[in-house]
Amino acid sequence: MADFHVRSDSVDVEQIMGQIRTRIREKRGADYTEAELQHLASVKLERFLDSRGVRSTLVEAFRKTRVASPEPPSYEFTDDTLFESPRPWLRRVRRALAPILRLFMNPDRLSAALRVQKEVNAEFHQRFRAREEMDPLYYEVVHNLVLEITRLGIDVQNLKMRVESLSSRLDFDERRGRSLEGMVQRRGSESPRMPEPGPRPPESVRYADGPRAPDSQSQGAPAGPVVGSSAPAGGGLAPQEPRSDESRDRRRRRRRRRRRPGQNLASSPGGTPGPVGGSNQTGDGHPAQAGGRNASMSDDADGGDGPEGDGDEPEDTHQ
Amino acid sequence: MKLAVVVQRYGADINGGAELHARYIAEHLAQHAQVEVLTTCARDYITWKNEWPPGEERINGVRVRRFAVSKPRDPHDFGRRSHLVFERPHSVADELAWLDSEGPTSPDLVRHLARTEAEVDFFVFFSYRYYHSWHGIRAVPDKAVLVPTAERDPAAGVSIFGPVFRGARALMFNSFEERALIEAVSGRTGPGVVVGVGSEIPDQPQPGRFRKKFDVRRPFAIYVGRIDENKGCRELFDYFGRYATMNPRGLDLVLVGSRVLDVPVHPRIRYTGFLSDEDKFDAIAASDVLVMPSRYESLSMVALEAWALGRPVLANGQCDVLRGQVIRGNGGLYYESFEEFAEALYALEGAGPIGGPFGRNGREFFRRHYAWPVIERKYLEMFDRLKREPAAGALDPVPGWMARRKRDRPPAAAVVDAVKAGPVVH
Repeated sequence: MADFHVRSDSVDVEQIMGQIRTRIREKRGADYTEAELQHLASVKLERFLDSRGVRSTLVEAFRKTRVASPEPPSYEFTDDTLFESPRPWLRRVRRALAPILRLFMNPDRLSAALRVQKEVNAEFHQRFRAREEMDPLYYEVVHNLVLEITRLGIDVQNLKMRVESLSSRLDFDERRGRSLEGMVQRRGSESPRMPEPGPRPPESVRYADGPRAPDSQSQGAPAGPVVGSSAPAGGGLAPQEPRSDESRDRRRRRRRRRRRPGQNLASSPGGTPGPVGGSNQTGDGHPAQAGGRNASMSDDADGGDGPEGDGDEPEDTHQ
Repeated sequence: MKLAVVVQRYGADINGGAELHARYIAEHLAQHAQVEVLTTCARDYITWKNEWPPGEERINGVRVRRFAVSKPRDPHDFGRRSHLVFERPHSVADELAWLDSEGPTSPDLVRHLARTEAEVDFFVFFSYRYYHSWHGIRAVPDKAVLVPTAERDPAAGVSIFGPVFRGARALMFNSFEERALIEAVSGRTGPGVVVGVGSEIPDQPQPGRFRKKFDVRRPFAIYVGRIDENKGCRELFDYFGRYATMNPRGLDLVLVGSRVLDVPVHPRIRYTGFLSDEDKFDAIAASDVLVMPSRYESLSMVALEAWALGRPVLANGQCDVLRGQVIRGNGGLYYESFEEFAEALYALEGAGPIGGPFGRNGREFFRRHYAWPVIERKYLEMFDRLKREPAAGALDPVPGWMARRKRDRPPAAAVVDAVKAGPVVH
């Protein structure tokens, strides 16, 4: 989810929507419209890749149901076939009248054509049989392909989920890193004091990737009012005052903790400190959600003993 | 000044958008003029069955005169005629038959308007698409003020409404988008003003009371209205389910209103049923953000109520009116896809940095444009103006017997589709 940086009441709907769309485009990697995504989602391939839809006994089932095609009837054909008959007297009459028939037509051409047809039928049947012998092999190949594609599909889905999980962790770590850096700089600008127990101010969040108003915090100019913030602004690059030993110790402890493996505090580019402070309650008095955006960071961060501790696992990444 | 508010249904317990709008306007104008409501005996907007007795009664101090509906609506016949008029080339006769089929058919009401024209200064008609408005405005065109309550649906493209839009003395629009739509389909250029409607907002809503009464502990987004597919609720459930998966500690969803669609069983979706006004306002005040998933709205009263209570609104950006209101009021965000919904809802959480400013902007927007003194003043100024200016003239006559039967009217949906869409941003 995006971070927001808003000054006072000067929110602008279209500007924030523009930031949201930019962020969505970056997340997607390609600017698909919702309709295009729906179309992609509706492609039948997805069903094909469903491992539950694949029958492992496909080849056996095919073999069981397979029936060899029967031999075609034999059509023996000779020059006399046209004049044959089961009745001998009729056969004789036909032969006797054959010369008269030849006066009107040429039955030899008809006999020749039918003879060729008989040979074509025999050839076709032979080829058809050969193809039938090959079918089980094709089925087996297709079956194996389906299995492999299904397996790959599941692998791809698993990898996608892992990427999403890692992405959300990275996102959280970056935000946490930025906030910690901001904390260091803000502390530097304050007079040294002991950490006080009390309500933990929420993290002020910002939209890091959208067009911004001039950031007075990073330029040392007086800051405008920042929503959800009660901390004094302008501390980002301000000259730091001499610190007490205690403050120095705290800083050392912080550095040591930063160097621990698995932490990613200084990795985010442009880590301008976000303002810290503000109320931990919502407008109508109900407490802000624990572990939510506002509870993820506090003054306790540099003490190292707070509930967040050093854990890499976010309480709530909103992802 | 004597005014008559003419509306299809009227009652203290009727919560339909246009009907509630009419009641609020009648009750508030009654503080400045003598107001009588002319309506039907129908309570159900699907059948228009006569359920109240004809005659006079008083509701919240306003005199109401009811007239019987001559025939109830046949939904099958209406559906068939709607398909013809909206989707296929047709004739004027087809459109008139469609209007009769839609109802509420009350010739007695129309005759009463013509009979009392001399006694009344202005007739304020609500909802252009019904029988009473079309026939009523034709009966008293010189004194007709129309509150169209038009949405971007095919009915706005039915050709018989063009002369009515052009011929009414004044149009009181709910939004700039509605005005743009009506002016585009009818070519109207006469007097008109974007007014909208206010709401009876309690001074001290108590969010804690709602949380205690309904045992709601977590921060939540709220939907108030009929839980219906036509209101975009199915899409809302789908989007919210996905949002809840992505944000295990994000907002819950509380649904308030009568239920037409089944509410999905989900640990983070809570259905309270229909609530009294007191509970409803408590609920809105307790929420972090109001969600308006409907694609068809001429004015969302509940969005105005949320703004009046300082709550931001997350609207469906495919509804021009809602989108325009959100942009003009700077009081929330809108979405056109799931990704936008999730990001915008995340951004508007009460504990976030922009929910508060949007809520404050919304409250100011409501105060400047939709507070009752502003609404009342706009109506009264329009009446004064109409009194000063002469009437433009008679309405275009209905075509003759032969011309009415010529199938030369384009599908109404195509007429509306041809009108440029999008919010009007000044």
